[in-house]
Amino acid sequence: MAFFRYLIILPLIAGCLLPSGVQALWPIPTTLETGLTTLKISSAFYFDVQVEGAPSDLRDAVAQSQYYLENDKLGRLVVGRGANDTAAFATAMTLSKLTLFLANGAAVEPISSEAVKPLGTRSEEYALVIPADGSAATLTANSTLGLYRGLTTFNQLFYYYGGVTYTLLAPISIKDTPAYPFRGLGLDTSRHYYPVSDIQRTLDAMSWVKASINTFHWHITDSQSFPLEVAQYPELAIKGAYSPQEVYTASDVQYIVQYAAARGIDVMMEIDTPGHTAIMAAAYPEYVACFEASPWAFFSGEPPAGQLRFALPEVANFTASLLTNIAKTLPSHYFSTGGDEINKNCYTNDHPTQQQLKRTGMTLNGALDTFTQITHGALIAQGKTPVVWEEMALDWNVTLSNETIVMVWISSADAAALVEKGFRIIQAPSDYFYLDTGAGEWLGDNPTGSSGPFRTWSEAYTFDPLANLTEAQYELVFGGEQILWSEQSGPQNVDPIVWPRAASSAEIFWSGKQPTGAALNVAEALPRLHDVRYRMVQRGINAIPLQPQWCAFRPDACDMNA
Amino acid sequence: MAPSRYVGILALVAGCLLPSGVHALWPIPHTLETGTTALTVSPFFYFDVQVEGAPLDLYEAVSQAQYYLANDKLGRLVVGRGANDTTALVGANTLSTLTLSLMSGATVEPIASEAVKPLGTRSEEYTLTIPADGSAATLVANSTLGLYRGLTTFNQLFYYYGGVTYTLLAPIAITDTPAYPFRGFALDTARNYYPVTDILRTLDAMSWVKINTFHWHITDSQSFPLEVAQYPELAINGAYSPQEVYTPSDVQYIIQYAGARGIDVLLEVDTPGHTSIIAATYPDYVACFDETPWATYANEPPAGQLRFALPEVVNFTASLLASIASTVPSSYFSTGGDELNTPCYTNDYPTQLQLNSTNTTLNDALNTFTLATHGALIAEGKTPVVWEEMVLDWNITLSNETIVMVWISSEDALAVAERGLRLVQAPSNYFYLDCGAGAWLGDDPTGNSWCDPFKTWSESYTFDPLANLTEAQYELVLGGEQLLWSEQSGPENLDPIVWPRAASSAEIFWSAQQPTGAPLNVTEALPRLQDLRFRMVQRGLKPISLQPYWCAIRPDACDLTA
Repeated sequence: MAFFRYLIILPLIAGCLLPSGVQALWPIPTTLETGLTTLKISSAFYFDVQVEGAPSDLRDAVAQSQYYLENDKLGRLVVGRGANDTAAFATAMTLSKLTLFLANGAAVEPISSEAVKPLGTRSEEYALVIPADGSAATLTANSTLGLYRGLTTFNQLFYYYGGVTYTLLAPISIKDTPAYPFRGLGLDTSRHYYPVSDIQRTLDAMSWVKASINTFHWHITDSQSFPLEVAQYPELAIKGAYSPQEVYTASDVQYIVQYAAARGIDVMMEIDTPGHTAIMAAAYPEYVACFEASPWAFFSGEPPAGQLRFALPEVANFTASLLTNIAKTLPSHYFSTGGDEINKNCYTNDHPTQQQLKRTGMTLNGALDTFTQITHGALIAQGKTPVVWEEMALDWNVTLSNETIVMVWISSADAAALVEKGFRIIQAPSDYFYLDTGAGEWLGDNPTGSSGPFRTWSEAYTFDPLANLTEAQYELVFGGEQILWSEQSGPQNVDPIVWPRAASSAEIFWSGKQPTGAALNVAEALPRLHDVRYRMVQRGINAIPLQPQWCAFRPDACDMNA
Repeated sequence: MAPSRYVGILALVAGCLLPSGVHALWPIPHTLETGTTALTVSPFFYFDVQVEGAPLDLYEAVSQAQYYLANDKLGRLVVGRGANDTTALVGANTLSTLTLSLMSGATVEPIASEAVKPLGTRSEEYTLTIPADGSAATLVANSTLGLYRGLTTFNQLFYYYGGVTYTLLAPIAITDTPAYPFRGFALDTARNYYPVTDILRTLDAMSWVKINTFHWHITDSQSFPLEVAQYPELAINGAYSPQEVYTPSDVQYIIQYAGARGIDVLLEVDTPGHTSIIAATYPDYVACFDETPWATYANEPPAGQLRFALPEVVNFTASLLASIASTVPSSYFSTGGDELNTPCYTNDYPTQLQLNSTNTTLNDALNTFTLATHGALIAEGKTPVVWEEMVLDWNITLSNETIVMVWISSEDALAVAERGLRLVQAPSNYFYLDCGAGAWLGDDPTGNSWCDPFKTWSESYTFDPLANLTEAQYELVLGGEQLLWSEQSGPENLDPIVWPRAASSAEIFWSAQQPTGAPLNVTEALPRLQDLRFRMVQRGLKPISLQPYWCAIRPDACDLTA
């Protein structure tokens, strides 16, 4: 099998120093060999898809790749932007073709089917070889998803100057496979609504960081708005969306799911329950406790107050039915029921809750256990694996299926407690990965309030997914994600607040380490991240500049101790 | 004089509570009287310009006002966005005309001419009256600039629902005049370049909140994007690329565009520090160019400062500044003067040789340099503007007319005022828009931005321009500005990082107090700022969200203690 042959050859040369021109790749591949020969892309260049019965989304991916190859027109990030490279163009060999193969015996399925397989069963690895002599480049993988990842890498290899698309680093040999199966980006579309086109653009960018981000964690509803149209419960969006225009219709959701999957991205939806549900009271007032109670701070993490009366059987049944009705329309194996920040004060004086607890002799914890078993049971019956926030495992005594995936968010220090309980975890710690922090307080009448520091790309990049864990626990870490909560964000700033920062976790969880085996390092990474950022700008994403352009053209000149 | 008459009348009613519908106005006018009658704008509404020999830019301003009136289509920020207003609109009186006139005896000049008059001699006041009975509204001022300000206010008064543009607050009587003559916004176009279109869009937004000065920090150590006819090599060698240049016609276009919007362009060519890139053209004029470690020689990379002790550098700089200043209509020109690094000169042979041969100190050489450069500007009819170090850190003879910008700390205003110099408040601890994005230097993952934290709109809004000053010193405070330094900003995030935050200082320096005479207050201001922000979005700008939309349509519900 072609793929494994590379595995054996490449370690022999992996110890060599990477030339600076490898700035292009993000996330950095598992192994990488480059030369010093200039190679131009032929004006007649084409992708030769040697895949019998190639699915249409692979053909779409190839067409997209062709488009990027022609239109990225990214100048090298050096003074002159490549003007000094032209001398080498005259005699350079020309690359005319990239041939795509699947390994022998590989099943041919659409990328979008591969993308939604259970974590750990997806085949994302690929091998990419670009000879220096102009003979055909080859991309080999075990699945169409792997080919898609390889195409993304291929597109990052080339620069443009004066009408010529080229690399200075042929021959190139890459063998690549992700370090962790789950690499996500979380987006909250409830505090503010994002039009479908903004989500699509974000999915595109997710796929570019070498297709590394493979999960769109869609926190679609919350206490402020319920923009999701659910066929069986239409009133939730009619009364809970910010406006009739600010709704994700069933067909919007299907379109987004399909668009994501064709880019190798699984859509993991979250309907946060039983907290973060105040707006459900607009449709079902009798299901929500402490709705809009004030002072809100006593009842809720943020306004408005209001949580599902989870102790009531009719609420448990409603919630289970709601979640399964949504989940069954989605191809993902995963569905998040949230479970963060449940406020107990909300129930202390809630008559229906207290009456029910008294009648059944149950504690609030016992009622939450029942509620969770009913809602999770319904999802499991649909073939879904439940995902929850860390409080469900750490703050409450609730019986969860062993399959449950737990998301760490409050602090990176909490991962250890979760794996000690044997749960599989996703690293989404606010102290490294929250993209919204640092914008100051958004509550009114609080001019000196703080939201903690802004997480720079480099601070996020220093996150160690295995910190404080024993080796036996490593396999419980599925991966991680950066998250944009939208109290202070919306379509106006989604690009600059997310990009290129969200690429940090993409590399942490795809690459894990440098091809040399050395640990990831911010000084090594910065020039490559500049490259990603400038390529994003070329593709129309409004990614923030990381430094003055003077620095971007002069790698390392603006390091702290340069 | 009409404005004074209204001041007299309105004072009688100014004590009454402002109806919530006045959310619309920013900055809040000096005096304001509103009723509770609905008034719709007629589909045949027109602006009746009763100004003999009205200049072209006034007509353009009127068509712009007409455009905003027809196209803002801003729904009121309440649940339902105005759906509940429709009953009041049935049978409401209709406004058909706004009549614009100048006070008798006022001279008729273009707005662009009025906008560049010396500070303290511009006439920005106006009176706007909108009767409730549908009879013609009137806008009266002492200059076309005052009419322009009034048009801006007029456009903020109306909402839209279901095809109808209306106010619920007729009759409306406003007399308005700025508290401070200088209300600015500063943009650094050297660390990263901004295309002309981005600057034009920013000027539009500035005009919406009556900001009257664009402080254009056009060059710095990283790039010299300004094309100077007499010194073309500076941009040829110093711009990031031939495309990232402001040509003389770009600059004239920007100045004209700004002037027509009541905005004076204060150009800054920062000297003698912040000039490293001049070495690309005049290597003999720059000390410690690209010296390492840069941190010894500069506050940020690259190191390099003008050899101000050399007579040829003095002459060059004076000629350069005068050449630039002679092409701009503003009465003001900033020579910068911040962050001058002395170690840069300690081992600089040409500087030390000159100091030794003339037996002068570095301070004296700087004095000679400043007298020469400022003298050349004064000869061009310009008033020099400098950063605070030129007054507080160096012993230099400055003209009494010199305007000093406070930036290091708001604490420093007092020391500047004690020197008897006029000052502009631009303190980093309140007004720097770039703070809080973390360190941008490479290899520094735990670094913070030097002026952490992020300055929220409300923190900026609590700035007191007269803090620590004696009453006799108050008149020295010309106004203030918020600033965007561009190490981590560019066209990609310009809108969201600037707006609506830069409106905070616009209100501080236009209004200074509420119409009731009460001090400005963040709780009162937030709903109005939300309104401004949503109107900006309607006009195509991308300002950040201040709160979840749930809060924006429920004033005060998300206050800290609500």
